[in-house]
Amino acid sequence: MSTILRGLQFYPGKTVIHKLDPRVKLVISLLLMMTAAIYLEVTIITIVVAVEALLSIIAKVFSRWARTVYGAAPLIILVFLLNVLFKLSMPGQSLGFQSIYEALQLAYRLVAFLASFSIFFLTTTPEELGMALTKMKVPYMYTFAFISAIRFTPILAEELQSIIDAQKSRGLELEKGNMITRLRRYIPILIPLMVNVLRRSYELAEAIEVKCFGAKKNRTYLRELKMTKRDLTVLSISITLFTLAIYVKLFVKLNIP
Amino acid sequence: MIVFENVEYVYPNGFKALRGVNLEIESGEIVALMGENGAGKTTLLKHLNGLLKPFSGRVLVDGVDTRRTTVASLSRKVGIVFQNAEEMFFSPTIYEEIAFALNNFRYPEDIIQKRVGWALKFMELEEYRDKSPFLLSGGEKKRLALAIILAWSPEVVALDEPTVGQDILQKEKMIQIIRQANQQGKTIIISSHDVEFIADIKPRIILMSKGRIVKDGPAEEVLTDIPLLQECSLLPPQIVSLTSRLDFLGIRPKLAGPEEIAVEIARRLK
Repeated sequence: MSTILRGLQFYPGKTVIHKLDPRVKLVISLLLMMTAAIYLEVTIITIVVAVEALLSIIAKVFSRWARTVYGAAPLIILVFLLNVLFKLSMPGQSLGFQSIYEALQLAYRLVAFLASFSIFFLTTTPEELGMALTKMKVPYMYTFAFISAIRFTPILAEELQSIIDAQKSRGLELEKGNMITRLRRYIPILIPLMVNVLRRSYELAEAIEVKCFGAKKNRTYLRELKMTKRDLTVLSISITLFTLAIYVKLFVKLNIP
Repeated sequence: MIVFENVEYVYPNGFKALRGVNLEIESGEIVALMGENGAGKTTLLKHLNGLLKPFSGRVLVDGVDTRRTTVASLSRKVGIVFQNAEEMFFSPTIYEEIAFALNNFRYPEDIIQKRVGWALKFMELEEYRDKSPFLLSGGEKKRLALAIILAWSPEVVALDEPTVGQDILQKEKMIQIIRQANQQGKTIIISSHDVEFIADIKPRIILMSKGRIVKDGPAEEVLTDIPLLQECSLLPPQIVSLTSRLDFLGIRPKLAGPEEIAVEIARRLK
């Protein structure tokens, strides 16, 4: 759990990727995800994941990035199993190579999605993301909500751990029992967590209101975002590559798995 | 008896919280862990019931290595009241909140009723028995947190920063409760940097700094060692600050009640 979160948290660095305009990074991540969305072929998805791996190596965050992908394995396996079940539940379907392969493709696509998220969040601070969204005319109220959600995730993870510690000290055993009783055992952990989240959000709302949140419509920043030549070059390269991907999808008949 | 043998602990992020702690706590003692934030007090407490296992060295609770047993079985012996224990409530009523641990420890129903009743009475919470724990005031929540632990009567009660956010009245109540529980034969371990609170209890003090124990001795000795306290980012108790300035009267820094000091000043001035 915490390894996945660590891979979605900003990790400071001074690499080319870190210095890119957050809007460009956002576009690249979205394009990578869209490529993974329009293709199902394992080969193409592998290429997408390889490009993401390359980006993470350039940004010097490869080990964190890899751990996120690795840590998400349970989720990906769950998606795979659900897909297999769903396919089986459709009339006239039997468990054959084809249906397993298709479920595998869908699960694999999720790896590409997650990897793309990870590389973006590892190299972009929440503030930069906020500035990027504001520049893209997203109302600041929504941007703020989104940024705070990112900000509070690590705190939430810490809190979850201390709740688990406290309830274990009260004799709660999480490891024992079957699936249903195990889920029931999580009630003493989930209720305090939810109560604390609600309480904190009220406190945050009061705190920002005291500081005149939303008093002015247009927000200004100390450091304004500016597209440099490098940003534009990277942006045009990635758009070209994506156009190529669409062209191949529409007009070239691929004969690969 | 609790024994720490050369215990070291490193958090996953690389922070060295304990750097070779050696410690023995006899049963029936009152011990205070003091020191600045990040000195390792809470980390040490979490070793008592096996929530954290030593990186190297070992922790023995009544001769049992904490690595060889579960948190649940150690918790029957060592009850820890965490600093934010009041953020861990989840039951619809206070009665059920206290009964939760007793159910986990598989006590029979009649004993549970008796124990919860006793804990509610001891903590003066009887009138709230069927109320939601979320409706209690700050001080009452703190007492409920204690009632939860005392209900199963662990031999060792560990309190993490019990006075944070509490007013004088609640602190006095806390001291009474600690004394009473100790008289019933319980070992009490308090982690705190509230010097006045600790000065009132006058326990054995273990002073920690940067993951090490820098001093272990009676309150009268540790709390009057002003340079040492300063090293550990602690202010001496006010009465010690006062007596340390009375050198010209021939009074040495001393941990005593204000009346005693007043009488002594009067006597010397005559």
